[in-house]
Amino acid sequence: MNDQNGGFVMEGKEKKFPDLFQKETTRRDFLRGTVVATSSAVAMATIGTLASKSAHAQAAPPAPQKKDLMRFLFAERENCSGCRACEYACSVYHTGVVRPSVSRIHVMKYKDSIDVPVLCWHCEDAPCIAACPTTPKSIMADPNHNGIILNEKTCLGSKCLKCQEACPAQYVLVNPDTGQPLMCDMCGGDPACVKACSDQSGNPQGPCLMANKLGFGVNLAFRNVTPDQAGADLLDLTFYPSVDGKRITPVKTAKTKKVRR
Amino acid sequence: MTMTTPKGGCFGKILEIDLSKQTYKTREVPDDIYQKAIGGNGLAAYFLTTEYKAHKDPLAEDAFIFIGPGPLNGTYCVSTRTSIANMSPYTGLISHAETGAHFGNEIKWAGWDGIYIKGRSKKPVWLSIVDDKVEFKDATKIWGKDTEETHEAIIKEMKDPYARTAVIGPAGENQVPFSCVIVERFRAAARSGTGMLMGNKKLKGLAIRGTKGVPVVDNAKFMDMAIYAKKLAVDREAWQGIKRWGTAGLLEQNNFFTGSLITKNYQTTWYPDIVKIGAEEANRKFWKRHVACNHCPIHCLKLGVIREGKYRGMIAEGPEYESGGLLGSNLLMKDFSAMIALIEACDAYGIDNISTGGVLGFTTELFERGILKPADLDGLKPKWGDGDTYMELIRKMVYKEGKAGKLLSKGVKKMAAEIGKGSENYAIHVKGKELAAHDPRGDKARAYSYALGSCGGDHHEGASTRALVIFAMVNSLCMCSFASALIWGGENAKITVGMLNPLCGWNMTEDDYWATGKRILTMERCFNVREGISRKDDALPKRLTTENLPAGPKKGAIFTAEDTKKMQDEFYSFVGWDEKGIPSEATLKTLGLEYLIDDIAVARKEYKL
Repeated sequence: MNDQNGGFVMEGKEKKFPDLFQKETTRRDFLRGTVVATSSAVAMATIGTLASKSAHAQAAPPAPQKKDLMRFLFAERENCSGCRACEYACSVYHTGVVRPSVSRIHVMKYKDSIDVPVLCWHCEDAPCIAACPTTPKSIMADPNHNGIILNEKTCLGSKCLKCQEACPAQYVLVNPDTGQPLMCDMCGGDPACVKACSDQSGNPQGPCLMANKLGFGVNLAFRNVTPDQAGADLLDLTFYPSVDGKRITPVKTAKTKKVRR
Repeated sequence: MTMTTPKGGCFGKILEIDLSKQTYKTREVPDDIYQKAIGGNGLAAYFLTTEYKAHKDPLAEDAFIFIGPGPLNGTYCVSTRTSIANMSPYTGLISHAETGAHFGNEIKWAGWDGIYIKGRSKKPVWLSIVDDKVEFKDATKIWGKDTEETHEAIIKEMKDPYARTAVIGPAGENQVPFSCVIVERFRAAARSGTGMLMGNKKLKGLAIRGTKGVPVVDNAKFMDMAIYAKKLAVDREAWQGIKRWGTAGLLEQNNFFTGSLITKNYQTTWYPDIVKIGAEEANRKFWKRHVACNHCPIHCLKLGVIREGKYRGMIAEGPEYESGGLLGSNLLMKDFSAMIALIEACDAYGIDNISTGGVLGFTTELFERGILKPADLDGLKPKWGDGDTYMELIRKMVYKEGKAGKLLSKGVKKMAAEIGKGSENYAIHVKGKELAAHDPRGDKARAYSYALGSCGGDHHEGASTRALVIFAMVNSLCMCSFASALIWGGENAKITVGMLNPLCGWNMTEDDYWATGKRILTMERCFNVREGISRKDDALPKRLTTENLPAGPKKGAIFTAEDTKKMQDEFYSFVGWDEKGIPSEATLKTLGLEYLIDDIAVARKEYKL
């Protein structure tokens, strides 16, 4: 990374805020499906620079950590350029190869003018977990890093999907192979999407995705907004902001009128 | 070579659609075809040369369109795109267009290496493709609508916001020969005349969604090289300008430094008023966000909203270098919003920006010289910089309305032939297709792409002898040239081979890379030779070789006959074609294209070459 990227580089931030970003991460492999665990190990070996931190974290013994180390995903949605690097990184982390349909994060095109990152906000009260009917719960929040972890053995999959209904952000999509929900597990505390985003962002806009210890309540504010609503909101915010209290009204549109005869 | 299924990168399956019977089937393609032709344009060239006989009617019922991603699409590789290729109904030659966005990758994720569309539907249809499931949907209600409305109607009916579309607008429906396919509303596959072909087939559009992954043979090795290649695109210092300003930045640069910004139908390359319609102005009053293609760190597309004038509130894309050049400086536009409206109108109608700009410039010059009279143009009086008249002319072109519409929608070459009176002196085209926005007098390297490229007048086929071969590969791999060829420079062969081998399980060497590029170019050339193309056609239009640039940083520059000869000789000998520009028999044998030897012999006799 060079300075051309406007300083929006995670390495830089890590140096500046070591206490926030350089914490020991743990991965509780026993909670994750064995397939996921083995394939992600392959993935991490392969993506080298992208996942170097998780790779050595894997060797560390799982140690319970304090509650204040919870982390939240956050998206600066106006910065999203729709490149889908997050989807790529997520699917590579979880399956070893690029496959956006099993990514735990999605970039939705809204009216083809706006890209909306659709992600799990990791709500404290987690309506998805509350809705899960199995005992014990098939999805649970990892006490160490707030990621939602799915137990593929007990999840009822397409027969149930109560979590999908419960999610106020309409975030949950379904794995086309298993019919089970795609849950964001925060990659063991160090999300691959966040690294991928900051790796290729910069000049002139900074990264869209961030992972922080603090939620600042944004997860609660954003979670009631569906992707479509977020898209409509962003479209207004981006193209038709209020100027002197007056909104630029789109003329619908000179162009379409001309086309229709 | 044996008939084997590809191990990685490709599925070995192409979706073959017959619109006449409204059926589809899987066409198996063996691995050695991919090794020979890669994918995208290369594969299309293979199909076009093997399946078409000479002098095929480009609009015949069994004429096909090939929409092809390459082996790298859908993998971790940076910025992969889509190629759409067919025999162009505009030029009668092989033609391909490359476009960005996510459409090509979605084809791969649906489990196909390409979509091959033939036949002709009786009523308008659009295709819904979700993995293996293909549906023919009724398009009667969206027939006649512009590309934006069509896109939205299709996405709504797909009930899937993650589906991707490629559609045509009214221009394609009305059989305008330079109409285009608009991919995901703002990207255009514009230079192949595919819009007309789709309109002829009554195919309004395609929507596609895939959920699969592309198999990789040696993932660890592949990822190493793919990450290395991507990092070059992220870090490349010279590319920070494109990230910030898009290709619009070239408008100012090519006017003030390179001296190659086309102006006034190629009369000059000096247009100081470019500051009123260039990147800086766009940044000041138009641009709102940057948009990237699939997995691309460069995000060169800029979206904005027009904030003044009668098109206020219209969301549009641009200006890019080509659209801002052809519909901006070429027409001496000074009103930024009016220029953007022209660009967006072209996108909405589904008509090629470049050819449209060329036609409008040509028309204006003829009108100025008194060769065209108001009576020829339904009373319209085109004047340099007059956005409203141009908008009306574009509309007439799209609907072939009145005398003006019928005349202008023929394109520069046929217009000149029809009008006569010396108008051919001002007709700027190569092989029947209008040139893009780089004037080869100021930027001589561009002449390679315009004159020697397979499609004619195309700016995307490489600006040197070696680059022509590299771009044949890039366009077959369906990669973005900004994120690949132009960044990798001397490493092109190494990186491409380094990604393809572990991905597909091939043993390609760097020599094979060059041979494959030459093979693709030679296949395309053989197709064109059968249609009568030879050395005489690999030349620039008269104006660029006889008129010196009157002003600007390259004042006095001209592309001489010696320049043309040197360029042709250098290229022909590099790819192994003879002095007439025909692939020699020895070359065809070396490249494994024995099946074309007879065709070439027939063409030599037919055209006395």
